[in-house]
Amino acid sequence: MTGSGAFRERLLGAWVELRENLGRSVLQAVGVLLGVASVLGGFSISDSMRRQSDKMFVKMGGLDKLNIQPRAAIREGQPTALQQANLGLRDADAIGGEALKSDAIQGVSRQKGARARVVSAYADQDRSVSGIGGDYIPANGYGIAQGRSFSNSEMETGAPVVVLGTEAANTFFPKGDALGQSLKIGNLPVTVIGTFEERVFRFQEGQGNQFWWRNRIIAVPANLVQRRMNGDTYRRVDRVTFRIPDLSVMSGFAQQLKNLVTANHRLQDDFRLDDVTARVRRRQSQGSVYDLIFMLSGVLALVGGGIVNVNIQMASLKERVREVGVKMAIGASGREIFKGFMTEALLLTALGGFAGLILGIGFSWIITSSIGIPLFMTPASFLWAYGLAAAFGFCFALYPAWKASRLSPMEALRYE
Amino acid sequence: MKIISGSSSSSIIQTQGLTKVYGANGAAVHALRGIDLTVEKGEFVALIGPSGSGKSTLMAILGCLDLPTEGTYTLDGRQVQGLTGGELARIRNEKVGFVFQSYNLLPKASIVRNVELPMLYAGVGRRERRERALALLEKVGIADKADKLPATLSGGQKQRVAVARALANEPALLLADEPTGALDSRTGAEVLDLFRELHQQGHTLLLVTHDPSIAALAERRVEIRDGLIAMIEGVA
Repeated sequence: MTGSGAFRERLLGAWVELRENLGRSVLQAVGVLLGVASVLGGFSISDSMRRQSDKMFVKMGGLDKLNIQPRAAIREGQPTALQQANLGLRDADAIGGEALKSDAIQGVSRQKGARARVVSAYADQDRSVSGIGGDYIPANGYGIAQGRSFSNSEMETGAPVVVLGTEAANTFFPKGDALGQSLKIGNLPVTVIGTFEERVFRFQEGQGNQFWWRNRIIAVPANLVQRRMNGDTYRRVDRVTFRIPDLSVMSGFAQQLKNLVTANHRLQDDFRLDDVTARVRRRQSQGSVYDLIFMLSGVLALVGGGIVNVNIQMASLKERVREVGVKMAIGASGREIFKGFMTEALLLTALGGFAGLILGIGFSWIITSSIGIPLFMTPASFLWAYGLAAAFGFCFALYPAWKASRLSPMEALRYE
Repeated sequence: MKIISGSSSSSIIQTQGLTKVYGANGAAVHALRGIDLTVEKGEFVALIGPSGSGKSTLMAILGCLDLPTEGTYTLDGRQVQGLTGGELARIRNEKVGFVFQSYNLLPKASIVRNVELPMLYAGVGRRERRERALALLEKVGIADKADKLPATLSGGQKQRVAVARALANEPALLLADEPTGALDSRTGAEVLDLFRELHQQGHTLLLVTHDPSIAALAERRVEIRDGLIAMIEGVA
């Protein structure tokens, strides 16, 4: 077949046919074009949105964190002796938890907060103070801008040192010379040893900084809060966070941790664990609904375009019966006629689809830039859009081509 | 050369008891009622008869555009009855060259591509196709129009292209259906000269016409009336 260049001839013939009937061809291509543009545009917009929210997730510390927090064990009435004797969430839980899966856990951080009057030479405010322990700083995406972070021994001993977020640093030391100065938290003088980098994240350009509150942090060692501010002998903490990058380990670990802490707490259900499975499920399903909707609308456009194309093809077939008859008379088989019509339809689909890809790129670019997020397109979207168009183009071309191939040569020749 | 039946190996057309019935039962139309016809290699035969006589139906069957209801038809040694559509297409392609009253050139293809088309269906390579098509156009005297579209040609020129196309695959049988019907008498005469020339070169010609003066050019005239051969006159 390639030897005689039959395919080439068919393609050339199809091209001539399309060009000769430009109006009709353009009309037919528009159906394909809109379908492709709608699938590609939809997928790309949805991909861009997902990527942006992924970015936010990563910046916020990500999916890989499992939090455990205390919960009120007594809803009403008098506590039982058991409840009263309960020790609450504490360091032991963090240490025990880490031991469960020490190879999979990449970090454990503890938090013990306090509310205190914070006083400097420039400001006097009632603020939250974060007592932090373990890998809190890297796990939560903080970085040191000036000075240094806490040393291990400062963490251990609960040294009176503080690291400030940008907002806190500006508030208490507006001249920008926070490093080395001292600050009073409650009655306790602490020394500023460092400042954090500013945290900024905007979901869309022009929107407010969603991380502004992270810049308000006043971080001290958790042990300092426990020992000198509002601690207790049981060394209770407000929150323990485990960092586990491997999501498949996470669910199993959550169950083990729950059992461990329940046992530690004398079977009192006085803590709350993040619902990992729900989180993973939500994460995975995020955007797939939109993909489905976009795919559906694209498919509907392609089906609509396909039906219109069948109609146009059938109408144009009427004008071409004689041509089919002539071709048959000089030796074209029904199969040859079929291939000719299919080639035309597929060439049309290919050209319309290509134009659709370009339109789809433009379309997604306009939408994403109008809502202010970066455009992100995957090869898969292109393949889906083009593949669907090709599949539908093929299916809808079958009937007219089959009809043409079944014409009787004699009747076709006599057709007026 | 014999006139009726007899199975000589040099027969191009040989039919026996050929009938064609359109429609069914009550509304059946018997277009052919039993045609026995033999055409030898190199003959020039005119098929004449009034309209409605069945000559168009006979021509369609002889040209393998249609199959007979009953009877046998052998074209250049091939049994035709009972073949599939694809096999018929192949026989048309290889053994029959058609020339129609209305030329039936493909309007969107250039002259040379029109002539190439039967060779394309036969699987002839691109270069050879082009060479043979140009040679054929040379033969019918319009090589200079090769790259023109059919619409730019006169009726006589179009018919010459049609003849060139009919000859493309060196067919055993050249079938011409009122080839001069749409031409004025002068160009008509030129086309008939071309046919006569082809006959002299040894081609087998079957010419369908209702014009007695054109039929007179043939060696043999076969008249069809009411689906039967009414008269055969002339011998080679």
